[in-house]
Amino acid sequence: MLSRVADSLYWMGRYIERAEHTSRLLAVKLESMIEQSREDSAASWTRIIAAQSAESFAANPEDAFATTDSIALARSNPSSLSTSLSRARDNARQVREQLSTEVWEHLNRLYLHLQPFAIEEIWVHQPARLFRDILRDLHTLEGVIYTTLRHGEGWYFLELGRYIERAQLVSRLLGIHFGASAPDFAYAPQASKYLDWLVLLKFCSAFEPYCKEHTAAIRPERVADFLLFDSEFPHSVKFAVGRVNEALANVAPGAPPRRRAPCDRLAGKLKAAIDFGQVDDLIGGSFAPFLAEIMRQCEEIHDTVFSAYIAYDAGTVA
Amino acid sequence: MQHRAAAGPFETDGVKAAPDAHVTQAQPYASYTLGAPYDEMFTRDGVVRPHCAALHERISTLPSEELVRRQQACEISFLHQGITFTVYSDAQATERIIPTDLLPRIVRRDEWDRIERGLTQRIRTLNMFLQDIYGDARVLKDGIIPRAMIFGSRHYRREMRGVSVPHGAYVNVCGTDLIRGEDGAFVVLEDNLRVPSGVSYMLANREVVRRAFPGVFRAAGVRNIEHYPQELLATLRSLAPHQEEASIVVLTPGVFNSAYFEHAFLARQMGVELVEGRDLLVNDNVVFARTTSGLKRIDIIYRRVDDDFVDPLTFREDSTLGVPGIFNAYRAGNIVIANAPGTGVADDKAVYAYVPRLISYYLGEEPILDNVQTYLCREPNSLSHVLANLDRLVVKAVGESGGYGMLVGPHATTAEREAFAAKLKADPENYIAQPTIQLSTAPTLVDGQIESRHVDLRPFILNGERTTIVPGGLTRVALRRGSLVVNSSQGGGSKDTWVLSA
Repeated sequence: MLSRVADSLYWMGRYIERAEHTSRLLAVKLESMIEQSREDSAASWTRIIAAQSAESFAANPEDAFATTDSIALARSNPSSLSTSLSRARDNARQVREQLSTEVWEHLNRLYLHLQPFAIEEIWVHQPARLFRDILRDLHTLEGVIYTTLRHGEGWYFLELGRYIERAQLVSRLLGIHFGASAPDFAYAPQASKYLDWLVLLKFCSAFEPYCKEHTAAIRPERVADFLLFDSEFPHSVKFAVGRVNEALANVAPGAPPRRRAPCDRLAGKLKAAIDFGQVDDLIGGSFAPFLAEIMRQCEEIHDTVFSAYIAYDAGTVA
Repeated sequence: MQHRAAAGPFETDGVKAAPDAHVTQAQPYASYTLGAPYDEMFTRDGVVRPHCAALHERISTLPSEELVRRQQACEISFLHQGITFTVYSDAQATERIIPTDLLPRIVRRDEWDRIERGLTQRIRTLNMFLQDIYGDARVLKDGIIPRAMIFGSRHYRREMRGVSVPHGAYVNVCGTDLIRGEDGAFVVLEDNLRVPSGVSYMLANREVVRRAFPGVFRAAGVRNIEHYPQELLATLRSLAPHQEEASIVVLTPGVFNSAYFEHAFLARQMGVELVEGRDLLVNDNVVFARTTSGLKRIDIIYRRVDDDFVDPLTFREDSTLGVPGIFNAYRAGNIVIANAPGTGVADDKAVYAYVPRLISYYLGEEPILDNVQTYLCREPNSLSHVLANLDRLVVKAVGESGGYGMLVGPHATTAEREAFAAKLKADPENYIAQPTIQLSTAPTLVDGQIESRHVDLRPFILNGERTTIVPGGLTRVALRRGSLVVNSSQGGGSKDTWVLSA
């Protein structure tokens, strides 16, 4: 596979995942806002803004209208939903001949669907609904990708992008929710704070799966355990890291071992940290550093894949 | 047998004919005009041509809202498929579809047969001509064509002298523009021998129009064009010695090129890789693509990048679209580039005027398809004739295409004509002139009404070991009333073209 094509597929995967994540944050947040007090609502917007690194685009977390606009639609915000969708599509366009007609048309329609909207228009018609619709379309897109593309190298590059992005997004969200200080794992949230934890689970599509595993009794340490270490839940960090490893084993089948080795080593190292980690070890001050380390390792894998398979020096390969 | 038009009233020569009181279903044609130009569907008296009868009947029986609905379905389909080009007019780049018209243009079997023979004759001649001027230059020694015209052309590539080209096929993909004169005969307006585009629109139009008129399509016996990508692949393969294993790529300038959709489309339909210049590199005169698994050797490049940009070491050094060193690999015979570099010298508008003479020089045959009468302004007699008749002529700069650098005399203001006359006198060798030919007209859906609009026809000729022309082409249509400019960059659209099998 052409290196440039692999690169575009990888980024397409990342941006689709980012778009899915952003539309879910917006849908869940806008739906839950009604039940939140003014302060709690602003605090939760602040966390979303931080998770999206959108501080310079959304100045006032008490202004839900403007914040939604900047996170959903602002083209100047590089992590807005609209930007993510447009970049996912740009990358898809560059590898149009590698995609099935179904994948391309689905993504293109999704992009065209969001384009004409202005925030005023969204706001009058139940704003959450638009983001639910987009989320549903993105889920469908995942199915279309799964079922109409060959599960070859290109598909694994899409997977690689998607799951590296997911591991980072979930880690980041957890870090922001628990804060820099050591979380008190034994604490059972009161009714007013209960909603915050429920919303965190919903941000990761995790509420129902969590309940099946742990019942509706929401405890922060169980939430952390579930979102980090559950091996069967697709939005857990452990699941994502497993997929990253699987994808890396299946890309660049003909690359010489000395180019493969650094990627494989880093991915294996991250997998070991997650596979053998447990939430009990993270009590006290080690929780935030643990999350930061996961995100750093994801970055490192990202850079190493780029230098091994995408922009390698032609002189080094005979 | 002639079919009486169910439609009327018509205007003849700009005068509205007496309305026919009996014809009330004819509404969509209310503002249809028939004048001097040949009309594809109606005779001068407003009678439907027999081979268009079925289509005409279908159109006439559909309510105009239904036609509009089908037209919109076509447009939405184009938008979803991403068959768009980008307009960078305002701060935000907007994507537009190239307008496609719902109503197909129909070509009779006997007409097509003549086109096919004529184009085959022409491409043979042009390839022989290119081989000649990059080889012994016999045609120049024999004084058939002026030396200065060839060596002075900015599309002449000295670097191509003495390069051996497989099967002598310099032009592997050609899009020749044909028009119909007032007598209905097809004549050649222009040869496009460099990187002709539009074939994806031919295929995409067919897709949507067949869906819009399935019944008529089946009944009419329309010949297939869907095998074009396979034919293109076979043509490219025939250019390499180890044909089956040859690795083929399509080279595109990238996603910002207005024909990017077509490049991706052809690569996908042929099942070959679409590459950009930055994907390729040359090592020891061999061309490689950079893949995730390592470097992969490339044998054949179907390039959709102009000569100037192919190799910054040989041609334009500021080009970032090409591949440094690729031309040396080409000269060394390690890569096939299709079309060969340097073909532009033969589709120059001045060389065009000589093509009929070239046909008889190389083949000893009479041209099957005529040229449009052309005045070479480099010849003093012609120049004075052109200057005296600017209001009746179309004057074109020889090295330009896409409708740029031209004056359409009858539609220009006096001031525009005077300004152009000055340019002409300053540099006569750079211009040719032709009488304004009233391109034929065809029914076209405009705001829910059916109106007559001018059209041309661009069939695509493939030429490797042998010559193949799929029966069809791109019919371009000037969407503005009365306009003769069909170029998509200047308000043109396109139509599906039906070549009939009987």
